[in-house]
Amino acid sequence: MRPMADEAKTVSRREFLTGIGGAGMGAVIGGLAVNALWVDDRVFAVEASGGYLLVDTMKCAGCETCMLACSLVHLGRSNPSLSRIQMVKNPFGQFPSDTDQVQCRQCPYPSCVDACPVGAMHVDPANAFVRRVDAAKCIGCERCVNACPFTPSRVQWNFEDRTAQKCDLCADAPYWNEDGGPAGKQACVESCPMKAITFTTAIPMQNDAGYDVNLRNAHWATLALPTD
Amino acid sequence: MSARQLTGVILTLAFAAGVIFAWRHAYAGGTELLFDTLWWLVVFAPLAGITLAGATYRKDPVIEGDRVLRHDSAAMLEHWTHGIGTAVLLISGISLGLLFVPSLLASDTAANAMMNVHFVAVILFLFGTFYYLGNTALSGYRFKEHLPTKNAIPYTVRHYGLLLGSKKHTMPPEAKYFESEKMAYIMALVATGLVIITGFLKAAAHVVDLPEGLMGAATLTHDIATVVMLLFFLAHVFFAAIAPGSAPMLKSMLTGYVPLEHAKKEHAGWLEQLTCGQECEADAPASPETLKG
Repeated sequence: MRPMADEAKTVSRREFLTGIGGAGMGAVIGGLAVNALWVDDRVFAVEASGGYLLVDTMKCAGCETCMLACSLVHLGRSNPSLSRIQMVKNPFGQFPSDTDQVQCRQCPYPSCVDACPVGAMHVDPANAFVRRVDAAKCIGCERCVNACPFTPSRVQWNFEDRTAQKCDLCADAPYWNEDGGPAGKQACVESCPMKAITFTTAIPMQNDAGYDVNLRNAHWATLALPTD
Repeated sequence: MSARQLTGVILTLAFAAGVIFAWRHAYAGGTELLFDTLWWLVVFAPLAGITLAGATYRKDPVIEGDRVLRHDSAAMLEHWTHGIGTAVLLISGISLGLLFVPSLLASDTAANAMMNVHFVAVILFLFGTFYYLGNTALSGYRFKEHLPTKNAIPYTVRHYGLLLGSKKHTMPPEAKYFESEKMAYIMALVATGLVIITGFLKAAAHVVDLPEGLMGAATLTHDIATVVMLLFFLAHVFFAAIAPGSAPMLKSMLTGYVPLEHAKKEHAGWLEQLTCGQECEADAPASPETLKG
């Protein structure tokens, strides 16, 4: 009587390769077919941010202190081009349209977060749902920069470190000896000599042009300027 | 036109069309990267390569009159898909930024376009490389003839010494591949392996969330392996297509054949294996396909 092993059918290396490859290709095509027929009912929704920066451009003197402070506390470099808050000057504009402070509005529907393919741009539950960039995950596709509905984009391309960056309300400010983030301080707010920037936890009223902000308070009045 | 030439023309046109599509996709307002929308091709291409290898029956080297069959159609398909894929990957990858060298591209649209071109090259590269791996799994002796022997280092020193004119001596009979080529093969094998493993991780990051530490290590390794690949690629192109005397080798990668005289002069050891037949079988690496036939 011959042993059972001799009668068992063996699979040749060629059959094994063809089988693995063919089965794999079938699985990919089958998966695509199922995916095409599957009705996607996912909804992109995230919690509202727990903090916002407000800027009164009527008070802004265009000194760029906020930009230098932002770059310094986040990166250890004082470079206005690396600031997450940008002040755009219009030499042909007239007051109050001669300066424009552009900062991230922490959108209720953050297009930048939705656009990021690798989860680098995310809503951070540990910091009151502020929209932040995880630089280590960023692959540099700049889709978040393009996805921002505002011009200029509130997400900047950090050309030195080759990652996307945006305002995190100083949640990650390693070069600052203060506690930042929604529960702490913000470098631009603290450094602005005109007190033109403030922080709020309430969702501000806004339109396409920006927030409806009036920070012309008692401090402004001490300069003998109108407060309304 | 032979079936092989027709296949070559079709593959070349398909690849060119893919590159043009990839470029125009970005400039036509497509914000989605092909790595995001067609990611499944990164899985499909290597599987297609393996499957085709399983369906390929190869022809062993043989002397035919005054010429010798050095590369069969499968070898040429492996070589050119892997090689052209590597060339386009190097160009697109380096232009996107490598290690501490910033991106050479001036706009985000150009970056998107080049990333898409990188994707098309990835597909060709993976198909060619896995087709090679499948073929190698089926005929281990073809892999063994690429591996260096104990003479690798002294032969390599003498080989390049002769090429540079700094040494004068007669080289011993070389096998199908020079010992110097075998040394370079190991380097290319390691670099290709690293590029593929880390490349799969980078492609997967477009679909799933991966740990940042892993991605950081993968990106750095991918870039370092790219530098090694670049060095190998430049040296390979120089010695196989530009250096004096390389014309028969380049031609053999298009026709499959080298002149008998060239084989006698450059690969006497290999020719001896092909001519001595049964007498050499005990010494020469046996081909499963040959033994079957």
